[in-house]
Amino acid sequence: MSFASLVFRNLFRQRMRTTLTIVGISVGIAIVVALGAITGGLRQTAGAMIGLGGADFMVAREGSGDITFSVLGEDEWGRIAATPGVARATGVLMHVTQHGSNPYFPLLGIRPAQLAEAPPELLSGRLLAPTASDEIVLGARAAAASGAGSGSTVVVSDHTFRVVGTYRSGASFFDAGGYARLDTVQKLARKPGSVTIVYVTAAPGTAPETLAARIDELPTLATVSSVAEYGKVDQGTEIMDALNLAVSTLAIVLGAIAVMNTMIMAVFERTREFGILRAVGWRGSRIMRLILVEAVLLCLVAAFVGVALGVLAAQGVLQLEAVKALLDPRYSPDVFVRAVVIAVGVALAGALYPAYRAVRLSPMEALRHE
Amino acid sequence: MSDTPSIECVDVVKTYEEGRIRALGGMSLHVAPSEFVAVMGPSGCGKSTLLHLIAALDRPDSGSIVVAGHDLARERKLDHYRARHIGMVFQLHNLLPTLTALENVQVPMFELGIRAPKRRARAQHLLELVGLEDRERSRPAQLSGGERQRVAIARALANDPAILLADEPTGSLDSEAGRNVLDLLERVRADRDTTLVLVTHDASIAARADRIVRMLDGRVETTTKPRSASRRATALATT
Repeated sequence: MSFASLVFRNLFRQRMRTTLTIVGISVGIAIVVALGAITGGLRQTAGAMIGLGGADFMVAREGSGDITFSVLGEDEWGRIAATPGVARATGVLMHVTQHGSNPYFPLLGIRPAQLAEAPPELLSGRLLAPTASDEIVLGARAAAASGAGSGSTVVVSDHTFRVVGTYRSGASFFDAGGYARLDTVQKLARKPGSVTIVYVTAAPGTAPETLAARIDELPTLATVSSVAEYGKVDQGTEIMDALNLAVSTLAIVLGAIAVMNTMIMAVFERTREFGILRAVGWRGSRIMRLILVEAVLLCLVAAFVGVALGVLAAQGVLQLEAVKALLDPRYSPDVFVRAVVIAVGVALAGALYPAYRAVRLSPMEALRHE
Repeated sequence: MSDTPSIECVDVVKTYEEGRIRALGGMSLHVAPSEFVAVMGPSGCGKSTLLHLIAALDRPDSGSIVVAGHDLARERKLDHYRARHIGMVFQLHNLLPTLTALENVQVPMFELGIRAPKRRARAQHLLELVGLEDRERSRPAQLSGGERQRVAIARALANDPAILLADEPTGSLDSEAGRNVLDLLERVRADRDTTLVLVTHDASIAARADRIVRMLDGRVETTTKPRSASRRATALATT
């Protein structure tokens, strides 16, 4: 008999209670994992948005709350393009609209010449012609969802577009949308002379950071070079991060209470046994270790179950069209590391007090316990 | 027997409930190495308290207890002391219910740093010693009262203790099982040269000891040598 087998034996002597505790903690961990994966997906979408077309950074209206609310006039776009060190300043108007079952279809208005300068990966057909106002290049997911391909037509915002090509950008959000001429999208969005974002590429010999600092001096504009700066123009990821933190904290607190409840009951029931162990010479620290290892093992099992449930939950949420269009869940290692850290943290937080109580009693007090 | 006492209690006082209950009132006792001492007396006279104090399961209010050279008042690692010097047999066996007989016997060995294969082999040997080699996989609930007490004795011997303390080990057994358990304790004591202090209400059991200590109101009332012990001493002297 090893110490580990003793731990296992103790843990599963009250199977129902142990199972319920594992279920409770694993639901908390599942929420953390699912939210982490979804937040990671949102960040990935934000990252893809920042680097669209190989730009060094993007410029949008500062404090927009949501990037789609950003409105830059053509005069501001012109000032950005005229800033010394700018090689290319591509204006994009993002008009998010319903298309088929996708409520977040991003119709991206762009000048055809600028699209041709930094094109996405074409899967079929061609890019936009310089003059035709009713052409659209569809993202791979949008094409697959609507069954459209080069030569067919699609109706977006009550406007009939002729599909001239399909592309893949690598970001689900953009692959579920399409590129059309800027002036056409401006009319459909009723935003004449406006763009949402200006993508900037620095000229050779100009450091993008230096250029971004220069553009940041323009009033009410903000440059975004990384996901960490995305909050300057869109608070969606920040809100998700805050939500993630709040839910994780809640999951930890509730998990710790569940573990504490289980361990207090287990320790109370086994007080006499701890007295026996002390009577045969076991050190208090060994008994404490026994209780803590039991709790950690319980929580690690819960972490394993929780991670599996979390992945299932995230995949389940993705079946919703509204979510599917926005992101791909991202199962980064830190999501799983967080689950394990939470599990161990919950175990220690919940078991320390019962363990302390168990070893604080004198052997005789423990032996007298009925 | 050596002149240096194996157990020496001097003026030991132990009270409970803030002094309202006086379990031991200046108790003094000397037990020689390898001696078998039976402690008798009416219920509540402090017999079990005496054993618990010798086992360092509790601390006296005053007085001194020295066991196998360890002054318990100064001993900082009482767990360590119990793990290495004391074997304890309780009236109600006190086995761990979820463990098998073999596992129960291994429990004290964790503190001795004995590795798992050796722990197992030693526990098997001890179960063989108490005649339970065929019950090693049984849990306490699957054993009879006498068998449980024999497992408890095997567990008490797991650390090869110098002192064996038995608190009414036959108290919950029928007469035959009780006799068997006592035979076993005597045999173990003789084979291993262990000091045995045994608390009992049964005069026939006490009669098998080297010395009978009768307690009353937390103190030693009388100390006598039973006839059988006198006969044994005589036999030893003539050989």
